Amino acid sequence: MRIHLAIALLVLSSALAAAQAPATPSTPVAPTGDAKHGKELFESNLRCYACHGYDGQTGSPRLVPMGRAQDAFVAYVRKPSGRGMPSFAATPERDLVDVYAYIRSIAPAAPSVDSLPLLKAIAERRAKAN
Amino acid sequence: MERRDFFKGAAAGAAGLVVNKVSPAEATPVPSRPRIKRPTEADEFGYAQARGGANAGAAASAGAARYGSDLMVDVLKKLGFEYAAINPGSAFQGLHESLLNYGGNTPEILTCLHEEAAVAMAHGYAKASGKPMVVMVHGTVGMLHASMALFQAWADRVPVFLIVGEHRNPTGIINAPHSAQDMGAIIRDFVKFDDEATTPERFVESAMLAYRLAMTPPMGPVALIVPAELQEVVLDRPVRIPELTIPSPPQGETAAVREAARLLVNAERPAIQISKIGRTPKAWDLMIELADTLQAPVQVGTNGSWQKFPSWHPLYGNGGRGYTPDVLLGLEVGEMSNQARTARESGRKTISISSELLFQHSNIHDYGHYADVDLAIAADAEATLPSLIEEIKRLVTPEKKTAMAARGARVAAAHKEGQIKAIEDGRYGWDASPVSVPRMLSELADQIKNDDWAIVSGHQFTGDWQRKLLNHDKPWRYNGDCGGFGIGYDAPASVGGALGHKKAGHLPIGIFGDGDLNFSPGVLWTAAHHKIPVLLVIHNNRAYHAEVMIVQRLMGERGRDVSKANIGTTITNPNINYAQMAKAYGMYSEGPIENPKDLAGAFQRALAKVRAGEPALVDVVSQPR
Repeated sequence: MRIHLAIALLVLSSALAAAQAPATPSTPVAPTGDAKHGKELFESNLRCYACHGYDGQTGSPRLVPMGRAQDAFVAYVRKPSGRGMPSFAATPERDLVDVYAYIRSIAPAAPSVDSLPLLKAIAERRAKAN
Repeated sequence: MERRDFFKGAAAGAAGLVVNKVSPAEATPVPSRPRIKRPTEADEFGYAQARGGANAGAAASAGAARYGSDLMVDVLKKLGFEYAAINPGSAFQGLHESLLNYGGNTPEILTCLHEEAAVAMAHGYAKASGKPMVVMVHGTVGMLHASMALFQAWADRVPVFLIVGEHRNPTGIINAPHSAQDMGAIIRDFVKFDDEATTPERFVESAMLAYRLAMTPPMGPVALIVPAELQEVVLDRPVRIPELTIPSPPQGETAAVREAARLLVNAERPAIQISKIGRTPKAWDLMIELADTLQAPVQVGTNGSWQKFPSWHPLYGNGGRGYTPDVLLGLEVGEMSNQARTARESGRKTISISSELLFQHSNIHDYGHYADVDLAIAADAEATLPSLIEEIKRLVTPEKKTAMAARGARVAAAHKEGQIKAIEDGRYGWDASPVSVPRMLSELADQIKNDDWAIVSGHQFTGDWQRKLLNHDKPWRYNGDCGGFGIGYDAPASVGGALGHKKAGHLPIGIFGDGDLNFSPGVLWTAAHHKIPVLLVIHNNRAYHAEVMIVQRLMGERGRDVSKANIGTTITNPNINYAQMAKAYGMYSEGPIENPKDLAGAFQRALAKVRAGEPALVDVVSQPR
C-alpha cells in the first residue's frame, strides 16, 4: 500500500532522459511487424501504456513520432540506458517488432495550440500573468 | 469508596439481577436491557458522585448536574473549535451527549464512516482554515483506524486535535479490548503530544497544553486520552479554564540571519527551495517579497504542504537550464542532505532555515538524513523571513541591484519559455480516450476561470499539470499534499479542506485517483449529509500506476517475465463505477466519462451543484498520468 513516489518519479525522469524519442525523426524504414498484435502487447502483456499512455503520447516520454529505426528500437528496449525504462530482454524479438509497428502506426494527435481554444486561452492567460 | 469495594457492589448488583427471580405475573416493568452499573473512578478522581451514584440520578433528572464531559465541551468551545469529526463509540458517549445537549452541537459534529476519514478531514481542514479540528475516536479500535491519517498529519506537520475515549476499567468482553495500559503508546510515534486525563482539572490543563503544542511550529497532531468514567463524573466544584496563549514561533538568531543574507546577496546564482512553509497566509507575501528582493528562483517541492508561492510567478521554478545555484536557501525543507553534499563537492553553499531542527521523533524516518549544510538556522522560516528580507535589503547596493535585476530577467524568461512549452505539451493526446490529464484539467480550468477556486487535494498523481495549467495566484489555491506519501488522504482531506474554505466562499476542488477514493469512500456520504460543497474529480486510471511501473521495471531488471505486472496493481475486471458509487452515497455525480468531449457538460452540471452548496463528483476515465 505504500507509495514509492520518489522511485516512481525517478523512473519517470530517468525514462525521460534516457528513452525519449529524438525530436527530429530520421524517417526510419518501414516497420515489418504486425501492428495489431503490437497494440495488444502495448496495452496488455507488455503494458507500455503505463508510462507512455495508451496512444504513446500522453505519458513520459512520448513515443510518437517514433524517431528510432526498428533495430535500434529493439536493441534499446532490450537494454535501456536509463534506470527508469524496464528491460524487455526476455521478450521475443518478434513481439518487440510488432510493438514497434504499432507505435509507428499511431498518427500524432497533437493539433496546434491555436486550434484548441481551451489550451490557447490558458496560454494567453499565462502570457498575460507576467 | 475503594475501587475494590466498588467492584464488590457492582458484582452484588449484577448478581441480584440474576437471583431475584419473579414470575411473569409478579414482574414489575423493568428496562428491557438491565444495566450493570459500570465501574467508576469518581472517588479516585476526588468526586463524590458519578453517573449511577446515590445522588447523581436526582441531579441528572432535574437536569442540574454538570458532568465531566460538560466541562470538556466548555474547554473545546474556549479553544474555538468549530467542528468535531466522529465515528461514534461508547468510550466517548459522555462527551457525545454533552456536545449535543449541553453544548448545543458546538463544535458541530461531523458524522464520519471511518476514523481515518475523520482525521484526514481534519488534516485538510486545518490546512485550508489554519485551525485544528477535533476528532473523537473510540479506544484502540477507533484509534487504530485513525492511526494512518494521524501519521500523515504528523508527516505533514499539521495540527489535529484527537480525543480518544477509553473504558479505563472495562466490563465484559467487548470493552476490554478497547482499553489499554498506555493507550497513547500506540500512536506516540506520530503525534506531537499525548496525555491521559485523570481528573477534570487535568483534562483542562492537558487540553490547553495540547492545543498550544499542536499550533506551535513545527505543528503536529496531538491526542488526549479521556476515560469514559471521567466524562461521566458529576462535577461538584467549579473548574477554572485558563486563557489560551500560543507562543510566538522562534525567529532565527540575528547573527545567523545576517550571515544568510550576506551569502545570498553575494551569490551569483542564489536559489530558494521551499517545502512546508506557509502555515499562515502571510508567508505568501513574504515569499514573493524575498524572491523579488533577491531576484532568485523559487523551487517548490513536489510533496510539500503549506507551500506558498505563485506557480505563474516569473521566478517560480529552478531558474532554467544551466542555472546551478551557488547558494541554495532551504525554507522548511526537511531533507537537504543531497543538496548539501553535492554543493560541498563543488564549493557551493547551502543554508537551511527550518523548525524541523527544533523537534523530531526518532522512530519514523521522515527526519531524513543528516545534512551538512553550511548554515543551519533552527527557527520557524516564516517568522524569520521578515528579518532575513530586511537584512538582504540592507546589503543590496545599487550595483548589486542592477545585477540582480538582470539575473531575474533571465530566470523569468526561462520560466516563461518552459511554462509556455509545458502548456503546449498539453495538446498531445487531446482527443484521446481514456482522457489525458492535461485535457481534463484544461476543461476544468475553463469552467472555473471566473471562480475563486481552491484545489483541496494533493497533486502527486497528476504530475505537475495543475501548476502548469492553473494559475496558483492566491495563497488558498492549493492545499498541498498528504505529507507521508500514503494514499487514502485525498478524498477525505478534500472534503475537510472544502469545509475549511466554506466561510471564505472559495470553490473547492479535489482531483485525485480512484485508488485513493477506495480507501475511504464513505466520506462521500459525509460530504452529502453535511452539504459540504466540493467538486471531486476522479482521475480514474484503474490502477495503482506507480506500482505498475515499478514492478514492471524490476521484472525487466531481473530478466524475468514482464507480463504479470498487472497482478496486484490494477483495478479492473470489473471496472469500478465511481459515479454510481457517489450516487449510492447520495452525492450528485457525472460519468464515467471516457470521451473528452463530454467533459465540459459534465463539469458544468457538477459545478452548478457545487456553487449551489452541494458536493458533486465527476468520474473521468483517464490516461495513467
